[in-house]
Amino acid sequence: MKSPRTLLTACALTTGLLLTACGGGGEGGGSGPVTLTFQSLSDQPAAIEATQKIVDEWNREHPDVRVEIVPAGWDGIYDKLITQFNGGSAPDIVHYEAAGIVPFAKDGYLADLTPYLSEETRADIPEGILDTVTVDGKVIGYPTELQSYMVFANKTMLEDAGVEIPAGPTMTWQQLRDIAKATTGDGRYGLGWGLSSPTAAFLALAPGFGGQYFEGTGDSTSITVGEAETALPELVHAMAYEDESIMPVTLTQSGSKTLAPFYEGQIAMTVQGSYQAANIAQDAPEGLDWIVLPPLAGPEGAAQATSPQTLSVNVDSEHVEESAEFLEFFTSTENLAAINEADALIPPTRSAREALADKLGSQHGWDVILSSGEHLTSAPYLFVDKYAQWKDTVATPAFQRFLGRETDATGLARELQDGWKSIAN
Amino acid sequence: MRALTRPARYLALAAYLFFLGFPLLWLISASVKSSAELNSLSVSLLPDQWHWENYTQALERQGIVRSAGNSLVVALVSTALVIVIALPASYVLARMRGKVRLAGISWILVSQVFPVVLVILPLFLILRTLGLADSLTGLTLVHTTYMLPFALWMLQGYVSAVPVELEEAGAMDGASRFTVLRTIVFPLLAPGIVATAMFGFVASWNEFFFALVLLQSPENYTLPITLKMFVGGEGKVALGPLAAGAVLAAIPSIVFFSLLRRKLTSGLMAGAVKG
Repeated sequence: MKSPRTLLTACALTTGLLLTACGGGGEGGGSGPVTLTFQSLSDQPAAIEATQKIVDEWNREHPDVRVEIVPAGWDGIYDKLITQFNGGSAPDIVHYEAAGIVPFAKDGYLADLTPYLSEETRADIPEGILDTVTVDGKVIGYPTELQSYMVFANKTMLEDAGVEIPAGPTMTWQQLRDIAKATTGDGRYGLGWGLSSPTAAFLALAPGFGGQYFEGTGDSTSITVGEAETALPELVHAMAYEDESIMPVTLTQSGSKTLAPFYEGQIAMTVQGSYQAANIAQDAPEGLDWIVLPPLAGPEGAAQATSPQTLSVNVDSEHVEESAEFLEFFTSTENLAAINEADALIPPTRSAREALADKLGSQHGWDVILSSGEHLTSAPYLFVDKYAQWKDTVATPAFQRFLGRETDATGLARELQDGWKSIAN
Repeated sequence: MRALTRPARYLALAAYLFFLGFPLLWLISASVKSSAELNSLSVSLLPDQWHWENYTQALERQGIVRSAGNSLVVALVSTALVIVIALPASYVLARMRGKVRLAGISWILVSQVFPVVLVILPLFLILRTLGLADSLTGLTLVHTTYMLPFALWMLQGYVSAVPVELEEAGAMDGASRFTVLRTIVFPLLAPGIVATAMFGFVASWNEFFFALVLLQSPENYTLPITLKMFVGGEGKVALGPLAAGAVLAAIPSIVFFSLLRRKLTSGLMAGAVKG
């Protein structure tokens, strides 16, 4: 059965062929001030406010090129965008994420921003991050916000267990396993990891073990699931069933649900998206002494794949150049620091990370979280056309069966590979 | 024995009502809890501290009142249009025999087969050509079209249940066709009309996908779009304000049902007596 997304894509492509070139967003090329529409997905009140502040400042400084925010939600945004692009009503500036915009870039809906990306900005973005927004050698979006997977720990529980708290630039997975074992006992567990949808976490953290999963792009994409790819699922499996140091129920929960036992002192550590630091700071009970442990490193280092939030420009916009100028403005050091602070995410540029680190110091583990930004990189799966379908229909059920002891590592590898082949064919 | 049966029946009824109402109670409970309490392991229907700020945030954010107004207008108008169009059409479908009826019934069934993702893009292009793509008028027309087949199907069942002999008796007494319809058939269809209107209102009130794709301007957003904006990227959910928004969103539906409930019951009884 085809997924609704596949059906909509097919329908959009068919309709697109029947359409002549459609007009883009923005206003006509007459005289008077230009208005750029900016479809923003900012959802947190602080981020909405920060975005508005940036736009207001731009509008004040550029009376001839006004930017108008059109708020939209994350839910269903792919369907909305594909209709907007095909119907010729897409905004000038599109907010989304790298993995999501790649298909639009391949279908020619996004402007090539390579000529507009200043040398200063380019040099400020780590190569791995820039790769996530580069399709066929063209920069198709400005990265704006990142997240990494971090370990949040109950410092008191670690100290009570006599554990030496890692303080280096990174910590190994073996250290995590040892600490989890040491802090397990008396009805408490060392680790809680919300892995109800494990694919995103396993694939994002696979580069640390040398795992890539996919190779190539388009029709020549192939999948490899070897020892490097299954190393992390096997480690989690061993911690859950050999060490019994992972709280079992958390393996079936979402990440945010796993915070409740963390607050209650039932688990000593939890692996979460870095943005949860803001929620923990807000919701943790008074007296909970929590810290962020250094980024996790596997045998191949602390690399994590990431799909940054992005700002792109509609190729049919009549004001691509002005839109790109706005993106340069939006991604200035000061603005990126402000928007990422508001969203509790990691800026993609080094200068914005430094600015944020200077401002926030070690408050709520920001220094450690920001340091993880240096390890974030691109990964082949971000560019795989049918990744979303494989993730939902093959990978997530296969990982769940593996974590539920319904299959072994060999069976997991076979399911992941065979599932991809059936989708690709 | 009868003395025991009566309390048992009330107890069963209370348990049933609690079962039905529990999700709403839980939603109301979540709407007055703080983020910390919502993310704790303690399970309680009553909050530790009443956190009314969720309602303030829900009302302040994203223009929820304006969205509720938009939803109300779209739902009421599309429901009215559906009833006005479906009522005579369903009578024809129910009473007519032959190929036209077969074609009509077949069309209704076939129209239900297509997933909305298949029709959304052509629909968007048609509405854009008509200048209705980003308007409540366009969305109202879409909702009307979307609900019409089911409403037709539902109402023609009610029409079929009205004995044709009643119409014949009216005609024998000298009533015109229109008088028969107005004074005999339509009153007997009141419960069916009310039930169909309820279905139409709720379907339009809750509809998300068409509104998501067709509406571009925030001032035109309907309530489901605005509520979805409480669910952010990276799995972030403002649960308290979302629950508060959902409680507020449920009020018009509850009021609408309360107003029509009496009509539904009286209509059913009227039909029973006359039938």
